[in-house]
Amino acid sequence: MMKNKIRRMINNMPLNKVRFWIQLSMFVLFAYGGYVLIDFGSSIPIFACPYNSETGATCYFMPLQHQLAMPANVLFGAAAISVLVGLLTFVAWFVVLNKAWCGYACPFGTLQDWITALRKKLGIRYGTYSQAQFEKLSKIKYIFLAIVIVIPLLMGVGVLGREWSGAFCQICPARVISPMFSGDFSQWKIDFSTVTSMILTTIGVLFAAVFFVGSFIKKRFFCFFCPMSALHYTMSDLSLLKLRKDGDKCTKCGDCYKVCDMQIKDIADDVISTNILRDDCMFCMKCVAACPEDDALHVDILNMRVFSSSKEGFAKRMGMDRLEKNDDR
Amino acid sequence: MVDFVKRDKNDIFNRPILGFVFKNKKFLLGMRIAVALLFFYAVFYGFMNPAKENIFTGAVFWVLFWPLFMLLTLPTFGRIFCGICPHGFLGKYITALGLKKTMPAWMQNRYIGIFLLIFGWWGAYYVFPGFLSSPLGTAGLFAGMTAVAFVLYYLYKDMSYCKYICPIGTMSRAYDKLSFTKLETYTESCKECKTFECASSCPYHLKPFSFAAKNHTDDCTLCMECANACEAVKFTLTKPAQILEKKFKALNAEVWAFVLILAAIPVAMTFAHGLERSTIAQEMIWNKTAAFFGMGEYGVGFAFMYAIVLSLFFAVLGLWLASVVLKKDFNTTFSTLGYAFAPLFILGSLGHTLEMFFVKDYATLVKGFAQAFGFAAEAVPLAKRGDAWLHYLGFLRWVGVIWTLMLLYKRLKLIESTKIRKIFGYFFASLLVIFFIGINIYVGYVFKVYGIKAAGHSHHMGGQSISQRPSFVKSASQPADDSSEVLDFKHMIKATDLIYFTCSDPRAGSRNSYTGGMHGGNPMAVPSQNVWLVYGENFGQNACIGQLDGALLLYDTSHTEKPVKTQSAQNCTAYRFDMPHNGYYTLFFHSLIAKENILHYKSAKLEFLNGNHGLADVYEPHKSQPFIAEKNKIDLIRLRDKKEDSFFYTHSSGDLLRFQALFDNKPLAHADIKVFTDTGWVKSLKTDSEGIAEFNIIKDYFPKWPEFDKRHKGMLLISLSYEDNSSGILNAESYAKTHYTLTYPLFFYPNEDEYKSYKEGLIFALLALLLASFIVYRFRKNRTKPFAEVRYDEK
Repeated sequence: MMKNKIRRMINNMPLNKVRFWIQLSMFVLFAYGGYVLIDFGSSIPIFACPYNSETGATCYFMPLQHQLAMPANVLFGAAAISVLVGLLTFVAWFVVLNKAWCGYACPFGTLQDWITALRKKLGIRYGTYSQAQFEKLSKIKYIFLAIVIVIPLLMGVGVLGREWSGAFCQICPARVISPMFSGDFSQWKIDFSTVTSMILTTIGVLFAAVFFVGSFIKKRFFCFFCPMSALHYTMSDLSLLKLRKDGDKCTKCGDCYKVCDMQIKDIADDVISTNILRDDCMFCMKCVAACPEDDALHVDILNMRVFSSSKEGFAKRMGMDRLEKNDDR
Repeated sequence: MVDFVKRDKNDIFNRPILGFVFKNKKFLLGMRIAVALLFFYAVFYGFMNPAKENIFTGAVFWVLFWPLFMLLTLPTFGRIFCGICPHGFLGKYITALGLKKTMPAWMQNRYIGIFLLIFGWWGAYYVFPGFLSSPLGTAGLFAGMTAVAFVLYYLYKDMSYCKYICPIGTMSRAYDKLSFTKLETYTESCKECKTFECASSCPYHLKPFSFAAKNHTDDCTLCMECANACEAVKFTLTKPAQILEKKFKALNAEVWAFVLILAAIPVAMTFAHGLERSTIAQEMIWNKTAAFFGMGEYGVGFAFMYAIVLSLFFAVLGLWLASVVLKKDFNTTFSTLGYAFAPLFILGSLGHTLEMFFVKDYATLVKGFAQAFGFAAEAVPLAKRGDAWLHYLGFLRWVGVIWTLMLLYKRLKLIESTKIRKIFGYFFASLLVIFFIGINIYVGYVFKVYGIKAAGHSHHMGGQSISQRPSFVKSASQPADDSSEVLDFKHMIKATDLIYFTCSDPRAGSRNSYTGGMHGGNPMAVPSQNVWLVYGENFGQNACIGQLDGALLLYDTSHTEKPVKTQSAQNCTAYRFDMPHNGYYTLFFHSLIAKENILHYKSAKLEFLNGNHGLADVYEPHKSQPFIAEKNKIDLIRLRDKKEDSFFYTHSSGDLLRFQALFDNKPLAHADIKVFTDTGWVKSLKTDSEGIAEFNIIKDYFPKWPEFDKRHKGMLLISLSYEDNSSGILNAESYAKTHYTLTYPLFFYPNEDEYKSYKEGLIFALLALLLASFIVYRFRKNRTKPFAEVRYDEK
């Protein structure tokens, strides 16, 4: 009885509010953790940018790029262990939350959600991609992931010089924007020391500027291009947390697609796959909260349902009782 | 599925030993694991030992895998190497875990693999001889291909990598047709089958039950999954190249592979390694072309290009002329007759390869394995160059020519035409063969008439050396080696000379020898630093001090005295110390020289900041505080700035430096301080009443922009001097005055403001912001344009 009660309570929770508070606390933790000497290490699967000197952890891409840029014989020799340890730590962190790292913990993602909230307050319409645009854009993150991995390797074999160090960081908008959380605006500078760094930092600055316009208009604008999201997807099968769909119970009403910030069509269309997590997904669980069918969508930890869609929860979150009352009046 | 079948006599699965070798699941798995381990170990070994001394990596790939596993098996048993190839073996599992997408149409192109083989490998092999076949190049190549293969296996289904991208995939598929084996099924038994286990078990998504009827085996790599899934699969012995005697669905890519490989290997080898050795090499057209373009050293690369162009020319021209006389369209003629060129390369190269194996490569192989697995082995080559029986192997090339001509005859039978047309067609189609015979005879002719250059035979294994990190040899067991010519320290150094520490080797021209940080090799090892003591009248004229007359003291981060290792070479001594912790390591040196009634107390100081990344390396402010040695008569303390809040602090031009001079641990007022830079700038200062002097580091680095280096090290030397009237006797020389000097070196980088700019960044950002906003605005305006409303006046 007790169990059912708790389950009902979870299923009926106001997800948006819960999520807001989790995101806020995570943002404080990762953007300002440094002030109270919090350090979760350097293998965190989110864009907790180390260029922000007060970060509470370090985005995994920073150490990864530095490690892969070691001379090839060092990298494949003794240093392989430290690379492996870094990767395993990354996986260990990732396995816990799966892509919910993006939806709940990433400060850069949270920033975009807040910009979206601002837009909403101002009453400006949001933008969407057409399906064809979506298909194309969602490939870009793999190109960025390739940049993260290939450029340091090329440095390691001596094809590229030191000015390519941390090449992805140089073009990453989080590098430009995150330090502003702690009042450091110096990343907006362009580095003229070499032609390469000039081009890379210029791209970074442009990307950061476009980020503001883009995320104002498009929900989670940057996440389509995020190489971390791509890296997550390659190992999402390992994760303990799963987003599952029961196609038999789906009526294809499309509510889940409408609330999806990432415009993932499969969430409504695909009634065959049970594992409905897609590469663009950020595991915000808004789809689960928006689903009006009992157990059609559910979030599992090790096959145990922790949060599933329900008629009751849907009615609660939509304020149906209030609506009905208004109808009566 | 068929449970039992009465096998033919010539079914290999019916043979006691061969049947086990080719079909037994456990044996095949064992072979695959062994080959995969060997493959990855060789790659790993190549990265670990990139120097030329590593013969193992080369031996595995260029003695074992390519000649023995590929060239020897392809015209005999077929693509059996593909069946145990590490990529395919692991790829099967990766595909099972992977995304199983369909490979995009543009990648489903066998020419990708062929071009990778011909230009990516062979082209690069001729243009940059030695690099790709060096241990590091080999390991890098195979590591890279492995990474590509695994990514593609992960993404795409049905082992598409093997079919389209693998450089030797299409090649194996093509030459497999010469073999005397064929995988097919007992078609009689198959008739009752409704379940098609052979097809469903095939990782390549092929249909083995159709092989017999189709008369070829598609992309089958002989992995024998089907044979283990159904008993009706057979692996028969046939006549060599039996497939080529009948019609089958030809693939133009295979014919191009035959021609291009013939061009890239035997023809180009004949040019680049044959004619290039003759005394008239410079007269050859490729060397003349290279000289014409002023790229004389790339003659061999041009030879490769000529080989490709000439071979393609004769192949295409010949087959086109044949198509004209046979009155058939070019495509049909090309794909039908082109298959005859198959034996031309493979038998020719096999002869050469086997000869090299007996003469040299066998010994290399044994030595390589002995090197890698650490056992002792004496390898004697199986034959000496010039042994009579080796010449028989050379005949294999002519066997290849004869076989080609025979195949051409058989393939010609498949084309319908009149007899007289076929005779002319035969002649034209064999133009490539005639060209091949021609260049072989021509080489013999050139060698006979003009002779061979003195230089030896250059072979695959000749790699250029890849420089390794120089390793520092501790000199504990090896005393100063120049004992014969020890220079007299006191006479060498003049009274006015500066003695100071430097972190860069004064013998080498290099300025940069900072080895702190995590990139200095083994991350587990304790980082260490070399320093040298040098002297000179001016800063920058570093003459190295070979033998020391004075005291050298090292204090670590916790201010305790530590030993210093020394190594002398070429009359120059390097001092090396370990830096187990982060923080400042301080070195002191002082010596006494009495000259002309003056005692010169010369001392040098170095503060070296070690910074390492690591969890244990937490910055604590007290660790950056200067160390004041009480033993030192005279000292110069650099007062720390508030900005210095990490172990990675560096000085940059524009920084304010503050020093306090101490004498007998008391502030030294009104002492002379001189500041030098390595560019020749000098500044004189006096300490104030508290012994403090301060100055800004100047900017003296003005390169043209593209040559700007933000890690350019500017060198500073601060020297403190002071004189008092203490007198005494040193080494039987009395003095009335004492002159104290202390030097303190420091390096600095260009200031960030010199190369980083807000202005451009903000302008660009603003422009991008405006442009993006404008685009969004325009875009929305277009979309929200109200419909032109049509109104009717209803009055």
